[in-house]
Amino acid sequence: MNGYEIALALCGIIALYAAVRVVLEKDTMRKLPFLNVVSFAISGSIVLLIPHPLAIVAAAAYFVGSTLESNAIASTYAGGPKDE
Amino acid sequence: MGPEFVLGLVLILVGTVASAFPRPKTYLVQLINLEIPAWGLLLVMLSYNEALALLTFGGVSALSTFIYVRVIQKREGT
Amino acid sequence: MNELLILVFGAMVVLGAIATIISRDLFDKLISLGIIVAGIMPFLADRGLLDVLAATALIAPLSTIFILMAIRRKKDGS
Repeated sequence: MNGYEIALALCGIIALYAAVRVVLEKDTMRKLPFLNVVSFAISGSIVLLIPHPLAIVAAAAYFVGSTLESNAIASTYAGGPKDE
Repeated sequence: MGPEFVLGLVLILVGTVASAFPRPKTYLVQLINLEIPAWGLLLVMLSYNEALALLTFGGVSALSTFIYVRVIQKREGT
Repeated sequence: MNELLILVFGAMVVLGAIATIISRDLFDKLISLGIIVAGIMPFLADRGLLDVLAATALIAPLSTIFILMAIRRKKDGS
């Protein structure tokens, strides 16, 4: 078991722990930071899974998308932009 | 039979039952539950290594979600 | 991908599906849907389909934002 596999296993266990915390949390606003932790861990494990130079682009795309989703959920939950 | 195939079948079965009998019986709950079998079908397609099918299905899934949202808004608005 | 990782990410997908079906609030359902997407992404990366992964990772939040449009309209109307 070399260094890559240890880092990969650590990323997976962190992701599973954060997902369990998201499911067990009662308040909706407190779920969102743990969703961000899941997104960090999954981005890291995507890069560690495939040794390819294009992997960082795919991981960045997933990271941007997941952050956008979290922000959209938080913004709608807080009442949306007060523009009108 | 890889792990993706079994996982996709479980997701399709559970999501179809949940989408047919939504617990709070509203359109939005049914639409969110309908996303679960969509991801399950994507996993089943992944186990057969069909890259073009995956791309097309992802695009069509988002498009159909948009159309369903417009239909629900029109129905609940009037 | 070894057996431990398949078990961990498969458990994430199943956990997200169960949480999506059980929870009653619409925002909780959307957050659990995000966990399902997060669990599927390493399976896509393991097959080496990087273009499909990038496209799916950009399409999934788009679908969530479409559903959020309907939820916001409903909150404003009522």
